Amino acid sequence: MMEFLQGILGNEAGLTVWTLLKIVAIVAPMMGAVAYLTLAERKVIGYMQVRIGPNRVGYFGLLQPLADGIKLLLKEIILPTQSSKGLFLLAPVLSIGPALAAWAVVPFTDKLVLANTNASLLYIMAITSMGVYGVIIAGWAANSKYSFLGALRSAAQIVSYEIAMGFALVGVLMVSGSLNLVDIVNQQGHGVAGGSALSWNWLPLFPLFIVYLISGVAETNRAPFDVAEGESEIVAGFHVEYSGMAFAVFFLAEYANMILVAAMTSLMFLGGWLSPFPASWGVLGASGFIWMALKISLVLFCFLWFRATFPRYRYDQIMRLGWKVFIPVTLVWVFVVGVWMMSPLTLWN
Amino acid sequence: MLQNYFPILLFVIVGLLVGVGPILLGWLVAPNRPDPEKLSPYECGFEAFEDARMKFDVRYYLVAILFILFDLEITFLFPWAVVLKELGAFGFGVMVEFIAVLTLGFVYMWKKGALEWE
Amino acid sequence: MSFPTVVFYVLSAILIFAGLRVITAKNPVHAALYLVLAFFTSAGHWLLLESEFLAISLVLVYVGAVMVLFLFVVMMLDINFEKLREGFWKNAPLAGTVGLIMVGEMVLILMSPEASLGSYKGAAPLAADASNIRELGRLIYTTYLWPFELAAVVLLVGMVAAIALTMRKRKDTKFVNPGDQVVVRRDDRVRLVKMAAVKRSEPVAEAESADQQA
Repeated sequence: MMEFLQGILGNEAGLTVWTLLKIVAIVAPMMGAVAYLTLAERKVIGYMQVRIGPNRVGYFGLLQPLADGIKLLLKEIILPTQSSKGLFLLAPVLSIGPALAAWAVVPFTDKLVLANTNASLLYIMAITSMGVYGVIIAGWAANSKYSFLGALRSAAQIVSYEIAMGFALVGVLMVSGSLNLVDIVNQQGHGVAGGSALSWNWLPLFPLFIVYLISGVAETNRAPFDVAEGESEIVAGFHVEYSGMAFAVFFLAEYANMILVAAMTSLMFLGGWLSPFPASWGVLGASGFIWMALKISLVLFCFLWFRATFPRYRYDQIMRLGWKVFIPVTLVWVFVVGVWMMSPLTLWN
Repeated sequence: MLQNYFPILLFVIVGLLVGVGPILLGWLVAPNRPDPEKLSPYECGFEAFEDARMKFDVRYYLVAILFILFDLEITFLFPWAVVLKELGAFGFGVMVEFIAVLTLGFVYMWKKGALEWE
Repeated sequence: MSFPTVVFYVLSAILIFAGLRVITAKNPVHAALYLVLAFFTSAGHWLLLESEFLAISLVLVYVGAVMVLFLFVVMMLDINFEKLREGFWKNAPLAGTVGLIMVGEMVLILMSPEASLGSYKGAAPLAADASNIRELGRLIYTTYLWPFELAAVVLLVGMVAAIALTMRKRKDTKFVNPGDQVVVRRDDRVRLVKMAAVKRSEPVAEAESADQQA
């Protein structure tokens, strides 16, 4: 296919078009997943609250995301009078750009990866740390007090949890010895338990796994850490002044980030595309994309479950959890893993 | 090595376009009937009293500084973690010392109450 | 022109534009955002030089952390811009001289025969799986051990200085420690007082008030 394109378009153009096709093949299903994640969220939370959730548009409410999209498309994009117009429109772009660009290095199976770089993990950390600009600029540009407060809270919260997240990643790096995500998953495939669920990183790195998962919820500003948009006090936080498609882009970015965090959790702690069963179990033991999708769905379900279950944290409690609980826990566990690796009992050779 | 980063460059561009596209589309398709009341900043029905860009607590500034310092620490930890198996016990000791010095700072800021949000 | 060269020129154009806007933008928040763009494009330059770790660290540390602080500071400051621009023409000659001297110095260094930039062919392209993170790791923690440990001390000084400069204890706070809240017992809060029963003395008045209520 690539040779064919290069044949008719020339070497460079062929490669570019082929790569663009691959990117579209990642982005388009992503957008579909985001759309149906919003439906899943409403359905899951609905059932948890003994309601049935959206069920009018299409069978079982399956066309609801489409209806929402069309509605948002037909709504006016409001530019508030006192806002900085250029930055106001730039903010949603800066928030979805990084959320999507991070997917360039995410592997779906050991062969299926767009850019298999040696610094994948570092790249993801760097590119996701840029997402905070969308929030800060949105809050500042709108020139509304609610937006500004929401943006400040959100920025301080995101940077605080990024530290704990970084330390948790260091633990994973120590045992895998590589920043390449394919290597990180493959390393989990040969442990004492023969590559089944018990040899994955979640078990020996359990505290780091929990810290990463919870920090992921906080990084994406999801409940119970959603003080940035706490609708009962600052109405919607940083995106209160946004409407129509400008708001929709923020919405897409939030859900794309959720799926990204879920994918990273499954890659680094839950064995990615590896099967949870021993390899000798035939079809069940074979690794493949289906396992990865199942793990991502599991983590996403937990995200929705958290939202339905936990009351919102107070801001001082959020900061306390990030700085005074997670950072010490991760530091101690990184030290423990180091000693463990140096001792004869090491699992990782 | 650069060939690995070419798809990333394209992906960044596509990601930004996915942001620009819907907004352009919305601007083309959606109605645009501005109205001074509609465009005024949201403030529970009041006229906005003053510029919303107010001064805020210096604590946010402190959080940002501490974040930079810890971010640098993490940047130092990354290459170390990658080669830890090669470096062995010596490399581990080196990092224990590095972290010990910074933990001193962490304990200091904890005791000083820099991490309290009341 | 090969593709990396095209990318180099595009990035350079963006970088120069962003750099100019940093010093010409009237609004400091805009200036800070142009600085973000400048850092991002220089990360692209480093990537073209095949130093992926440094390029990504630049984004992670400068764009992801330092510029967030800058934005906070710039957003927090209440600067009167008219006042700031007042002394522009008075200081312009001095600033121009300093700028010219710096340009001259840079030209001297870059054009000197010792630098021999003219004969520099550029780094050989690395293999697709070459990892300079691994190389850096091998060097920092063995050969450059001493500067590395010094870096820890520098970071420590930074932490202490940041706290010393910005810590303000607020006096009007109503903060309660959640730990104290949890360990509280009934005896700390409630005092049960034993009292002898009191006999009602005016049953007639009681009946009257009851009537009024009805």
